[in-house]
Amino acid sequence: MRVRELFRQKLENAEVIPDVSVEADLMRRLALREFLRFIPSRFNIYYLGGLVAAGIAAGLLLFSGTGILNKKTPEKIINGQDSSAFAGFINIRVGQPLTVNVDKRADAPSNVVAINTVQEQKTGTGRVFVDKTGTRDTNNINPAGGIKSFTKKGLFSDSSVDSKKLKNGYISDGVLFEVSALKGCSPLKLHFINKVNSFDSCRWTFGDGGYSNQKDPDWIFDVEGEYKVVLQVFGHNGLQASSSVMITVYPRPKARFEISPEKAVLPDDEITFFNYSSNAVRFRWNFGDGNYSELFEPKHRYTKFDNYNVGLVVYSESGCSDSLVVMNAFSDSEYFIKLPNAFIPNPGGSTGGLYSSKSDEVAQVFHPVFSGVADYQLKIFSKLGVLIFESNDVNIGWDGYFKGQLCNSGVYIWKIRGTFINGEPFVNMGDVTLLKK
Amino acid sequence: MMSDRQIIDGCARHERRAQQELYNRYSRFLLGVCLRYATDKAEAEDILQESFLKIFFNIKDFSGTGSFIGWLRKVAVNTAITHYHKNLKYRYHVDIEEYVSVETGVTSFEEDFFTSEELYKVLNELPAGYRLVFNLYAVEGYKHKEIAEMLGIDTNTSKSQYSRAKAVIRNKLEKLGKLKNSYSENG
Repeated sequence: MRVRELFRQKLENAEVIPDVSVEADLMRRLALREFLRFIPSRFNIYYLGGLVAAGIAAGLLLFSGTGILNKKTPEKIINGQDSSAFAGFINIRVGQPLTVNVDKRADAPSNVVAINTVQEQKTGTGRVFVDKTGTRDTNNINPAGGIKSFTKKGLFSDSSVDSKKLKNGYISDGVLFEVSALKGCSPLKLHFINKVNSFDSCRWTFGDGGYSNQKDPDWIFDVEGEYKVVLQVFGHNGLQASSSVMITVYPRPKARFEISPEKAVLPDDEITFFNYSSNAVRFRWNFGDGNYSELFEPKHRYTKFDNYNVGLVVYSESGCSDSLVVMNAFSDSEYFIKLPNAFIPNPGGSTGGLYSSKSDEVAQVFHPVFSGVADYQLKIFSKLGVLIFESNDVNIGWDGYFKGQLCNSGVYIWKIRGTFINGEPFVNMGDVTLLKK
Repeated sequence: MMSDRQIIDGCARHERRAQQELYNRYSRFLLGVCLRYATDKAEAEDILQESFLKIFFNIKDFSGTGSFIGWLRKVAVNTAITHYHKNLKYRYHVDIEEYVSVETGVTSFEEDFFTSEELYKVLNELPAGYRLVFNLYAVEGYKHKEIAEMLGIDTNTSKSQYSRAKAVIRNKLEKLGKLKNSYSENG
């Protein structure tokens, strides 16, 4: 009996008596699980919760009915000289100067907000000021009360730069700095220019974990995403200010393709380009012979053998591009030799077998198409096995004549042997049909 | 005496008596299943308890078609697999090389030569991964492809684990057999 049958027969339905404690333990766990789950037929934690909630509700009703719970009205806190005009706070804190906290009293008129205090560690420098009219934005204030923060622009008095407009090729966003671009393809290299004239030190945080203390740093974002770039400048006397800008880095597509067949024979084979690109929506193929395609997976037929550089440029939705060029795409197929299976000799007389691709347009000479052939020998035999032609020059084929006479039409045997220029030998034989017009 | 149908309906309503009856009727069989997947009886009983909890809470999903006992077995086997994955980090990893060299003999075994206790013992001594695959393939009769899907491994892994497990088991059984023979010869 094999191991498998042995175990199956013995153990498939084997019974083992569990320990007595197992059942008790199981029933205990079962009861607990059933208690923790909602099972309509059983008392469980939800019923318990419901009971407790009902009890509390009943208690509250009882209390509120007797009026014991009296609502306490919060004390009115009034700041500033005129309580009717100053209904809230805008508190600019040192260390976080661009975040303006609006502390709005719930019982204040909802449309009136005023800046109440500007905190500075030391006053009198005159470099930080708050525009009391221009930056006030009541829309940003949560009408339901509570605290809402918004970024305040124009903190520094240098307001010569129009926000979000191109200037000298740089985009000014925020007021403290300019950046060479707000979006781009990864890896995105950006140049930042700190526009603050006088400061003690500055710190750039790029939102990807990197930072710099240089005045005008370059930064490369390798990974796609949105990054908040913050510039903090520190003046003496503990003054500081900051601006931020969102940088969008788009993913770069990847251009990838494969050429099929792997060892293509040009120009005979139709070449298929398999597209493995990712993240791309548009494609531009350059087949290297002056032809282009924008198909996803184009097929192409080359008109002659040559070494072509095949290129693909892909574009993503956000306009990012990537390219791949395969140099000498058909170099693998460089070495080959092939022979036709029929030819029509020139009846006008022996030509000597010399041919060129132009002169041989009507296939008057039997000769190979080849590439990378170093040594070569061609032999032609009649059906009786008589050697009727021999050539050691790959450029000289058989013109169909034997001893000055045009051979009869029919089938002849050819045999080639030789080596390619990489040293690889080849031997091949076959037949060719001599046709007459 | 309750019928299986009554037990199933009762358990679906979370009736204590039906649950008790289900346990009494099938716990021995299911422990037999669990024991094949466990290193020792205590672990098997843990798996058994987990299986029963699953059975009690999911019995309404039992369609009623197909065999009930087959469904119970499936729950137990799945629980054992979950248990294996959960406890994977606590297991000792046994060096594969140790077992690769084990020759696969062609010995055949007499059915009654080994008791089921001995077979359990042989199984319990196997590395957990081998045991799992061996049980699923040899005893439960799953195909390697199914096992691969259940365990999240490659089909070839399942195949090779099975053949290694088989080789180890064969080796152990042969030793056990020789031991037995010597005992019987001596006395």
